[in-house]
Amino acid sequence: MTYINEHILPGQIGQFFIVTAFVFALLSTFSFLLAAINKKPEWSRLGVVSFWIHSAAVMGIFGSLYWIIFNQYFEYQYVWQHSAKGMPYYYLISCLWEGQEGSFMLWIFWQVAIGLIFMHSLKNMRNGSMAVYASVQVFLTSMLLGIYVFGQKIGSTPFILIRELPEYINLPFTRMENYLTLEQFQDGRGLNPLLQNYWMVIHPPTLFLGFAAVLPPFALAIAGLFKRDFTSWIRTAIPWTFFGVMVLGTGILMGGAWAYEALSFGGFWAWDPVENAILVPWLTLVAAAHVMMIEKNRGGTLMSVYLLTFITFGLILYSTFLTRSGVLGDSSVHSFVDLGMNGQLLIYLLFYVIGSLVLLFIRKKEFPRVDEDEKLWSREFWMFIGALVLTVSSFQITFSTSIPVMNALGVVKIINPLRSLLGMEALTSLAPPIDPVSHYNAWQMPFAVLISLLIAFTQYLKYRNTDFKKFLRKISRSIILSIVLSALLAIIFEMTQWMYLVLLFTSTFAIVANTDYWLAVLKGKLGISGSSIAHIGFGFILLGSLVSNAQKEVISKNDTYIAKDFPSNENILLEIGDTVKMGDYQVSWSKEELEGINRIFYVDYYKANREGVVEKAFTLTPYIQLNEKMGNVAEPSTKHFVTKDIFTHITYAEPFEVREKKKNEGFGREANVDFKKGDTAIYNQHFVLLDSLVIDQERTVYEDNEPVVLAVAAHITMINVLGERFSLVPIYIIRGNTPEHVDAINEETGIKLRFEKIDTESGIVSLKAFTDISQEKDFIVMKAIIFPYINLLWLGCIIMVIGTVIALIQRIRLRS
Amino acid sequence: MKKTHIILLVIIMVGIGAIISTIGDASTYATFDMAKNKEGTQLTVIGYLDTDSEMNYQPEINQFSFTAVDKDGEKSLVVYNQPKPQDFERSEEITMKGYYKEDRFVAEEILMKCPSKYNESNELDNLYKEEQ
Repeated sequence: MTYINEHILPGQIGQFFIVTAFVFALLSTFSFLLAAINKKPEWSRLGVVSFWIHSAAVMGIFGSLYWIIFNQYFEYQYVWQHSAKGMPYYYLISCLWEGQEGSFMLWIFWQVAIGLIFMHSLKNMRNGSMAVYASVQVFLTSMLLGIYVFGQKIGSTPFILIRELPEYINLPFTRMENYLTLEQFQDGRGLNPLLQNYWMVIHPPTLFLGFAAVLPPFALAIAGLFKRDFTSWIRTAIPWTFFGVMVLGTGILMGGAWAYEALSFGGFWAWDPVENAILVPWLTLVAAAHVMMIEKNRGGTLMSVYLLTFITFGLILYSTFLTRSGVLGDSSVHSFVDLGMNGQLLIYLLFYVIGSLVLLFIRKKEFPRVDEDEKLWSREFWMFIGALVLTVSSFQITFSTSIPVMNALGVVKIINPLRSLLGMEALTSLAPPIDPVSHYNAWQMPFAVLISLLIAFTQYLKYRNTDFKKFLRKISRSIILSIVLSALLAIIFEMTQWMYLVLLFTSTFAIVANTDYWLAVLKGKLGISGSSIAHIGFGFILLGSLVSNAQKEVISKNDTYIAKDFPSNENILLEIGDTVKMGDYQVSWSKEELEGINRIFYVDYYKANREGVVEKAFTLTPYIQLNEKMGNVAEPSTKHFVTKDIFTHITYAEPFEVREKKKNEGFGREANVDFKKGDTAIYNQHFVLLDSLVIDQERTVYEDNEPVVLAVAAHITMINVLGERFSLVPIYIIRGNTPEHVDAINEETGIKLRFEKIDTESGIVSLKAFTDISQEKDFIVMKAIIFPYINLLWLGCIIMVIGTVIALIQRIRLRS
Repeated sequence: MKKTHIILLVIIMVGIGAIISTIGDASTYATFDMAKNKEGTQLTVIGYLDTDSEMNYQPEINQFSFTAVDKDGEKSLVVYNQPKPQDFERSEEITMKGYYKEDRFVAEEILMKCPSKYNESNELDNLYKEEQ
């Protein structure tokens, strides 16, 4: 049977390229390995050729996937899953890597691009390091194979047809020739609305380029160990390491900017497990770059160079495992779902981590010995301390982020005895800390203090030894200036908490000292100032995150008294047309528009000008992206000023159908109000008091002095927030077994009360309260936050990236 | 003893401190029953929305209440002093961080897992079941 209108050719070609890429990566690995062992150039040549064929095949995979996505062949699972008709071109591009298979492909692609440059730029150790490099490609391409070997699935291919999915085998539609005419195949599910953002086009490629940049240093390190050439590779590895620091750092910061601009985290960093998973390898990569510099200039840190290079690579794999194994499902908003490749990922992770560490410990005794101890006032000593602090910092983050993994491994059994030693009760399972932000900040703030302090003064020290008095003389100007400056900043920012003040000083110190060093010592020369500039940037990043986070102000606080044990409400209700005071602004929701799939809310901010006249300052347009297939997503809107940002985010808007229903229904917002006489209840911002229960003589019917129909009236007083009182008298009638109610309505408040019942034993009077909602205005609930001086953070990001680029150029020049 | 040894010692101590603090800060996955027995203790309950019971969001006081069923099948009223999350009805699983207080679970943070957002094939499954 042939299926009508199916396009199986691109899939077959794509699958052919996957297998080709896998086979030639394997061939390349073995050729280079043999060449490294027996030093025969023909094996090396075969390795190079195989790697080129592998690279071409990877381009072929990319092309085939592009082919099926851009032609919208919805018979392919990947296309159906990730794209839809009418999607703009740039979102179709991001479909290429939205799925797990596609993101592996992107990673493989960048490793090919870097691998070709790496392979042809290497002068020595090419065979050994390319063997390692190609072996990683073997593992990665195996993730795309999607074949079954002895019943075990290996990889997951993006070229599988929906009808070939194991779960649909033998379903009736797979036996229909014309199944593609079925309605389900006319359109795909489309891109997740959260990801429909230009960041989705640039953030993943940057991140994966950063991932790929970590591989050359790792491959060189292994090759160096293997060949017993322990140090010469470091010179080659340094530019790659700096490149990785720059690209991975940019990728992480982009993620933060994305979260801040388009997602509803209410900040740029939330210590989400997925964010942590990618921050950690960057920290160790920075540490690795620094110990490499020490080793190159001074020696003596060889062990640390190897360990940090291996740890960084291991952590990249670990973060892949964390985000893709589904293990974070309960604790993170954006982890992937398990595709059944955990075993494969784990083998990959353990192979490289264990393999590299075993090799390191076998070779360790052959390392050149350094007997001389570092002097206290030497640059290398404090750089080394800095690398250690970064490592410990990443250890803490990794440990806490791994709680779900530990829970899965049953670590709770080991932890409980420790907890009992600490006087804490035993846990039945392990869950992440309730308040992750304070948990991480408690550790990471002191680390940030140490790092910024080290950044500030270490450049003033010379390698080997420094005259301490000279050092003091040079740096004293920065110290004094920083004290004055940070005191001023503390006053401007109204900062009082001591930990914040300490970090305020140290990050200012880092900026001032590095600027001074750049201008005074390096005479402002650009070519050699990479590290100073990068460190200035890092100082600004710390300063910006400190100020914007510590001094952020939620201006949408709603302080109306509601109940005493209520947490302060950070969301404000805005009725259409009403004006509400928020911080220095008068805020009004003026209109709502539906533009395509976006439900846009116009929120006007008014402010008094210099003459005291209130005028419109700006309008923000937060919106809700309507997506029936995947759920709606609210997108914030932010007004950027030089000194602050005003972030506005819709936290609740009534769906259209709810609004419609309300208009038609009349009374709503039903609530039970139970009390004894003298009690107070609260309903709809009113105190509800039961004054008395009285027999309603008019409605009560007596027969022989016995009431056959009994009517009881509840005299209720309601008091609103302004202290105005309203009386309502709902009546409860007992006639035989069926209770009847005469509802009381107060026109002014629109509140209706129904006397439900009296419990004769407990004396509890039960009322039901309603509100007339047919006249109610439309409303939204929103949150508004002022982030002061967040531009310092973005400025820092840009400066740091520029600095790293300069450092990178300098390192490349030094190498040749 | 070399300076580096002293530093390493300090580092190891800090590392141990980090481990201990994590052990101390770690919360626990609990059921509503456990939460009830430890009123006021912060913990994490994983469950799902009881679609038979009413959901109620009061925008004036910004309180959202619903009934959830935990993994043991026990139901409890949950109040969340935040706006009702987008598409709450569609959630497949809800992670609730909070504590028990007076016959209700007060959730301070809610994480939802929606079948459609990151999960892959449910939707097609349904489509084909209809068709069968």
